[in-house]
Amino acid sequence: MTAIVLATAVGALFALGTFLLLQRDLIRVVWGLAIISQAANVYLLTMGGIAPAVADSVPILAGHGGGAPQTADPVVQALVLTAIVIGFGMTAFALVLSYRVYEEHGTLDVTELGDRR
Amino acid sequence: MTATPVGTDSQLVIAPMLIVLAAATGTLLLGRYPRARAAVSLTSGIAYALAVAAIDWYIVLAPDAPGIATYQVGGWPAPFGITLVADGLSAFMLTMVAILGVASLVFSTRHLPGGEGRSYYFPLFHFLALGVTGAFLTGDLFNLFVWFEVMLMASYVFVAYSGGPQHTRAAFWYVTLNLVGSAVFLLGVGGIYATTGTLNMADLAQRLAEPAAYGLEPVPVVGLFGLLLSVFALKAGLVPFQFWIPTAYRAAPPQVTALLAGATKKVGIYAIIRLSFTVFAGAEVGVELALPGMPIAGDSPLPFVGAALFVMATASILVGGIGAVGRDSLEGVFAYSSIGQVGFIAMPVAIATTAAAPGLRKLAIVAALVYALNHTLAKGLLFLSIGTIRAATGTSRFADLGGLAKRSPPLAIAVFTASLALVGIPPLSGFFGKFLVFDAAARARAGPVLVVLLVGSLLTIAYTTRAWNRSFWGAQTDAVETATVDPVQVAVLAVLAATIVAVGVGFEPVYEFAELAADAAVDTEGYVDAVAPQEASDLLDSSANGGDH
Repeated sequence: MTAIVLATAVGALFALGTFLLLQRDLIRVVWGLAIISQAANVYLLTMGGIAPAVADSVPILAGHGGGAPQTADPVVQALVLTAIVIGFGMTAFALVLSYRVYEEHGTLDVTELGDRR
Repeated sequence: MTATPVGTDSQLVIAPMLIVLAAATGTLLLGRYPRARAAVSLTSGIAYALAVAAIDWYIVLAPDAPGIATYQVGGWPAPFGITLVADGLSAFMLTMVAILGVASLVFSTRHLPGGEGRSYYFPLFHFLALGVTGAFLTGDLFNLFVWFEVMLMASYVFVAYSGGPQHTRAAFWYVTLNLVGSAVFLLGVGGIYATTGTLNMADLAQRLAEPAAYGLEPVPVVGLFGLLLSVFALKAGLVPFQFWIPTAYRAAPPQVTALLAGATKKVGIYAIIRLSFTVFAGAEVGVELALPGMPIAGDSPLPFVGAALFVMATASILVGGIGAVGRDSLEGVFAYSSIGQVGFIAMPVAIATTAAAPGLRKLAIVAALVYALNHTLAKGLLFLSIGTIRAATGTSRFADLGGLAKRSPPLAIAVFTASLALVGIPPLSGFFGKFLVFDAAARARAGPVLVVLLVGSLLTIAYTTRAWNRSFWGAQTDAVETATVDPVQVAVLAVLAATIVAVGVGFEPVYEFAELAADAAVDTEGYVDAVAPQEASDLLDSSANGGDH
């Protein structure tokens, strides 16, 4: 059940991101980029899955004699954390760029940008 | 540098990375002192080159060298920590970057482009070099993604650096494309983690070689590697992912474009070679796939990669060559030429992926590496020369150029040498690159490939001749008549031209180095042994028994 919900969410996010990316308005393009990178993050999280309740999954508990609970994979969470930070920086940069495009070209329409060389 | 014999675990591996990181932060702190900034940049550039030379000698080339060395960051054993690996292939790539990087730095101290952003030039330059260095050294797939991002972020700013409306527009396209590329990279990385349970390249190779022992179902790896391949092709600028190259290369300052063409493109090629041969070559997939006309079957994902690479390389050679012939400025010609030349590098890689015989596979990888070295030197020189020409005349359009050969004979000789190297005239470095590529294609009995290579070579002759005729011969235009070229810049170009000649004349040691690099690329076992990935249970046992790590 969880798998279906997550798969649907990732699919919907990618679809929305791709749709926005293909718009003529630069701000929508930036939105599309942000959504696609978040979709990739959600996807990355789902790839980790849930580790069964064995001692290896939480070494610190096992080492101190406690029982280990069922855990979500921590590796993908570390990966996603890195990816989120990078994605955040890039979205900010893309927004600044789109503002400068507006200042210099006086428009945010991609097709008009192409005409003025 | 350490004079002690280097073991397989050495801090030397991380040295170039630390030097360039220190340089980036140092120059950022020295923002208000331009002279100190330039001095620190140059010093660290030379230190970087020395560190790379030390890696070359102590790890790869010396008679008692181990051939491969690792550095486990933070002392965490693989695959739990991040592993840095320096082997022949990494060392070969780093050497190319070091040569071009120092040349570009010296060049930049003479003429810094851009207005308000000038104080950020050197920090960005070093961050770009940091990303490239990290990508060549890392032994972890996700870490490769991070270094790609470091490299890209610096290059985004460089594309927008000159601050004109067309530069901002070029940067926006470039950012958009590469952000989508990064998302695709993450998809590939996540999928591979879900399939194999690891991201350490050595661990990955080990698990994929015996999927049954680890309880894996490795078939998805073929498609996931396809995703990664498309990202690497985007970085390398292979058709159909080439469309950002002309605008981005025209927008970035020429001395940075030299590095983009000479170094960041090679990161894409390096990643394809490393993952194809070191990581995925031993994978037991056993799928059959039938493309129209060419049934592909095999145990490893390589034939699939090979089929895609053949198409991309062929298209790159043709699109790049034909595009370059019709451009009206020097950057335009050489940007399109870069697309074609990277096709020439990808073609032997494609031959190597489909080669059954180990000898042919090695020969083809050597061909790709030698060609990549030639492209880095020649194209680096040509883009740097555009910087000189632009600084002197204020333009690089053919309509405003002419008679440069008379104005500055040394500049003309350097550019002429690089153009001949691009065409592949003996005894320059380009001759051996082209010769080996043709040799590999002939031995693979790939007739159509030979035809494509031949057409590509003819196109190369056509566009280099045209660029030369339009800008260096003929009557001097007004812009050229009043121009004075910077002597130091021309000296840098002359040194690069001399390197091209030296590589060609003394080709034997270069060939041996490339052979060692190719050996390292296909030596999955040696790579796995050096990184020595452990099982989680081993780690727990050692800590439970009171062992410290």
